[in-house]
Amino acid sequence: MNVPVAILLGLTMGAAFGLALEKSRVFEPGAIISQMQLRTFLMLKIFLTAVATGLVVLAVLNGIVGVKIYPKALVWQADIVGGLLLGAGITVAGACPGTVFAQIGAGYKDAWFTVAGGIAGALVFGYLEPVLRPVLLTGGSGKPTYDQLVHVPFWLLALLTAAMIVAVLAALERHKSWREEIGENFDGMPDVGTGDGKLGKSAGIASPAR
Amino acid sequence: MNIVGFRVTEIEHMIFSQKAWSPYLAGILIGLLQIPAFLLIETALGTSSSYVTIAAHVAALFDSGISRMDYLAKHMWGAKNLWQLAMVFGIAVGAMLSMRASGARRGPISPVWRRALDIDSLQSRAPMAFAGGFIMVLGARIADGCTTGHGISGIAQLAVSSSIAVAAMFLAAITVALLMKRV
Repeated sequence: MNVPVAILLGLTMGAAFGLALEKSRVFEPGAIISQMQLRTFLMLKIFLTAVATGLVVLAVLNGIVGVKIYPKALVWQADIVGGLLLGAGITVAGACPGTVFAQIGAGYKDAWFTVAGGIAGALVFGYLEPVLRPVLLTGGSGKPTYDQLVHVPFWLLALLTAAMIVAVLAALERHKSWREEIGENFDGMPDVGTGDGKLGKSAGIASPAR
Repeated sequence: MNIVGFRVTEIEHMIFSQKAWSPYLAGILIGLLQIPAFLLIETALGTSSSYVTIAAHVAALFDSGISRMDYLAKHMWGAKNLWQLAMVFGIAVGAMLSMRASGARRGPISPVWRRALDIDSLQSRAPMAFAGGFIMVLGARIADGCTTGHGISGIAQLAVSSSIAVAAMFLAAITVALLMKRV
């Protein structure tokens, strides 16, 4: 693909991505922190829905059309150490590497500092990569996928996994509806004072320590 | 109603002026973005390598040896890198248009920081945001993916590596969040 078309496609896909992130409120630091404190499950609902949709999409694209997939290499120590740092950073930043750009679009000023920190992190990694490679980034065991491990067609396990995710989502939604989780000021925070989204005080205005 | 320079229909107006959508509608829209990613760009959806592209161009301004740093150099140009960079820029634009259409403009920082950590000014929040961004992207580069690349895309490809990275990610994210005050 030539570069101008790729850029145009990136802008278009990004605009749709940004719209979905802003409308779903998952870009809100309040949604991230309350998800990670297991107070609400809004982030997980969006995340799992996107995964389930992707599973169905790839079951069709790979299973019927034969489109190639690109699973990442399994490197235990890199996946674990990197995943732990990523997770800690997500809570401290109140954002993911992608959603922080939606925070900028929606007006949060601290998001500029998060992106600056991210660029610095990428720069440090870029310079350290030759040093890290022998200790942390090698010794991989290929790019295994679960369908290969259990010897079933990709499309079959993908559809089964999607069905399991839908069952989990149904349970999460029964536990607490997304409308209650979104917060009365649409900032993804549980409302103060009550467990009920309609009766709580204005989110972020009154915040008694507890 | 004029959102992006042209008149929109009433139905579109209703969709875009909503302050919140169902998480299931938003999740499906994000998942469907895998179709153009796999068919046209021949890659899975991802966002965190765009930071390397920006970092490499920043570094190239003051370090002429960048072309010899394999990892940075290979992220600088090419359709896939520039596609992803354009996409994260598009995320900011899409979120801004969406916010303007609904009027859900946000203040300098989220009120969650006051509830969780008694932080209520941009000045005191900025260093924390920088540090969070730093370890977040450093970790994503070590693991070779973030919430999008390992999470949304990797799990959808049934990749073993992604299931481990995502489990580690949630474990650390939950642990750190529980050290903060209950929001």
